Amino acid sequence: MNKPINNTDQVKLSLKKRYFKEKVFKSAGLLAIGIAFMFLLVLLTDIITKAMPAFSQTQVNLTVSIDADELGLKDDSSREDFMAADFRQPIRQALRDRFPEATKRKVKKELYTLVSIGAEYQLRDAVLENPALLGQSVTMDFIADDDVDAVIKGAIDRTLPESDRRVKDQKLGWILEMEASGEVHKTFNWLFFSAGDSREPELAGIKGAILGSLYTLLVTLALSFPVAVAAAIYLEEFAPKNRFIDFIEININNLAAVPSIVFGLLGLAVFINFFSMPRSAPLVGGIVLSLMTLPTIIIASRSAIKAVPPSLREAALGLGASKMQTVFHHVLPAALPGILTGTIIGMAQALGETAPLLMIGMVAFIVDIPQSIGDPSTVLPIQVFLWADAPERGFLEKTSAAILVLLVFLIAMNAVAIRLRKKFEKKW
Amino acid sequence: MNMIADTMTANMDNKPEPQVNLDIEYTETVGAYTCDDAKISTRDVNVFYDTNQAIHDVSLDVGRNEVIALIGPSGCGKSTFLRCLNRMNDTIDICRVQGKILLDGENIYSKKQDPVLLRARVGMVFQKPNPFPKSIYDNVAYGPRIHGLTKNKAELDDLVEDALVKAGLFDEVKDRLHGPGTGLSGGQQQRLCIARTIAVQPEVILMDEPASALDPIATAKIEELINELRKNYTIVIVTHSMQQAARVSQRTAYFHMGRLIEVGDTNKIFTNPKHELTEKYITGRFG
Repeated sequence: MNKPINNTDQVKLSLKKRYFKEKVFKSAGLLAIGIAFMFLLVLLTDIITKAMPAFSQTQVNLTVSIDADELGLKDDSSREDFMAADFRQPIRQALRDRFPEATKRKVKKELYTLVSIGAEYQLRDAVLENPALLGQSVTMDFIADDDVDAVIKGAIDRTLPESDRRVKDQKLGWILEMEASGEVHKTFNWLFFSAGDSREPELAGIKGAILGSLYTLLVTLALSFPVAVAAAIYLEEFAPKNRFIDFIEININNLAAVPSIVFGLLGLAVFINFFSMPRSAPLVGGIVLSLMTLPTIIIASRSAIKAVPPSLREAALGLGASKMQTVFHHVLPAALPGILTGTIIGMAQALGETAPLLMIGMVAFIVDIPQSIGDPSTVLPIQVFLWADAPERGFLEKTSAAILVLLVFLIAMNAVAIRLRKKFEKKW
Repeated sequence: MNMIADTMTANMDNKPEPQVNLDIEYTETVGAYTCDDAKISTRDVNVFYDTNQAIHDVSLDVGRNEVIALIGPSGCGKSTFLRCLNRMNDTIDICRVQGKILLDGENIYSKKQDPVLLRARVGMVFQKPNPFPKSIYDNVAYGPRIHGLTKNKAELDDLVEDALVKAGLFDEVKDRLHGPGTGLSGGQQQRLCIARTIAVQPEVILMDEPASALDPIATAKIEELINELRKNYTIVIVTHSMQQAARVSQRTAYFHMGRLIEVGDTNKIFTNPKHELTEKYITGRFG
């Protein structure tokens, strides 16, 4: 057989096959991206549509006459007297006045459930703020009960037969009447962002969890960032190459793979039981999470430091800079974008972490908004967990809203990471 | 050139000359490795990377205010030797240096010697321009700042300007002293690195192939600069270009496989090499 001098024909033959392979790979990649994007879209649409109702709240407009004598209050009554006074009666009276047809005890009881049990505190706070209201008649919005809220938002189907409906015909009649007259209306749910947790869905807010998460992350950042960066610098720049250092390196890598609940058990045993630190507190939560975040930041920082071109170190050393000056004047600034990115990834991990915090009691039902890192509190992911577990229908939308808040936090943190990266990144 | 080549072929066709020992294991350095007024003198320097010996028994003097060029094929140990002179090899964990290296008669590898102080006295310019990612001014001012060479801003300004003038860069960058040093061209960056080294006011400047990443015009400027700097500094330069060695240096040392084969006046080395390996290298027979 005569062999041709060059392989042009052969190459031409194989070209078609090669391009086909390339095409197949490209479309497979596109498909993968498409699928990933679709999942994300489904997830986000689901969460957002479920969460939207949580940001509005149904209010019931009532005219309440505040009788000072009945409340046993005078203009000069002390704050304690106000706190002790029974503000429930004026609201009940107002409801009875609005629907005089409710005379039977059972019907009246049903009537009273139109407004939330929080209504009396709303009234009390209003009077406390403006004592001149005593003896007057005021018209104001009261938070509606979660069933009323559900009817107004359409979560309870009004067309269902009474036997299948949670809100019975009589109550539905009142609601519809007040809706038609505009006495029942929706407003933006400020309470969701200003209140702590509650057993009543209409009164439950996320502020306690947001602050709890914030305090926990602050403790985590304050502990893990300096320790991790110092460890990374030492291991990368100063540590001698010996078995002991190898051993430490392996253990740091192992630590990154330890299931997070183990850190929770450790926190419980060491910090709470041995050191008697407060239970459910962001302080302990932060310490436990920094144990978990440390290896992440160390590993990220080490690779960032490793990526700094050796020529930069040589330049500094060649001028007579000491090791310390070389590291802090040149290596660290150059590695900072990578270190910060690693830190924020670690922080985002810590923000979403639930399991270890369960073990140290941050899963408790806590109504008060934490004022410091020592106060009992919960965190966002655990709030999601708690609400998802609650039987009341109103918590369904709260759960999604809490997830949304958590996602917004994560996106904000990532945005900060990208900004910092851009700011500190320098071209070589 | 032709004549040298001709005689070479003639030699090889006839019987090989026995006086030149080509088995470099037993080669003694050819030529005078000593100097009358030595700034640096090394004696029996051996360098090991782990168990791998990179430098074998190198003894070499560097004269005051002289430019000495280290030439040789890739991997011959000339850069390693250069990096011994300011203890840059300390940064490599597996590197061990044996022998004596004296700077003005003091052993730089003695326990008393502080490497930081040494590097302030023996500056270094690297193969690839490596300015700090800072402004041109800060690049030059960095050395004086860390060593506390100036008392106030005005003195520092003068020092920076002086260094830039000496490096022949001042006119090109005087309008953008606070612009980024990395924004300069390759040749300008390398001169910035030289200015940075000069600003510390060292006694010796080591240059590791300073022009290998530069175009011919930038290279010419660097060479001019080296000729200028010779008045005040002792310069050791590693180069791959024999023309460059011939142009800038007074003495040349030829390294081969970790051994110093031949050293002598640049003129003599290039016109009349004594060792056969040197001759082969400079006539381009290998390398």
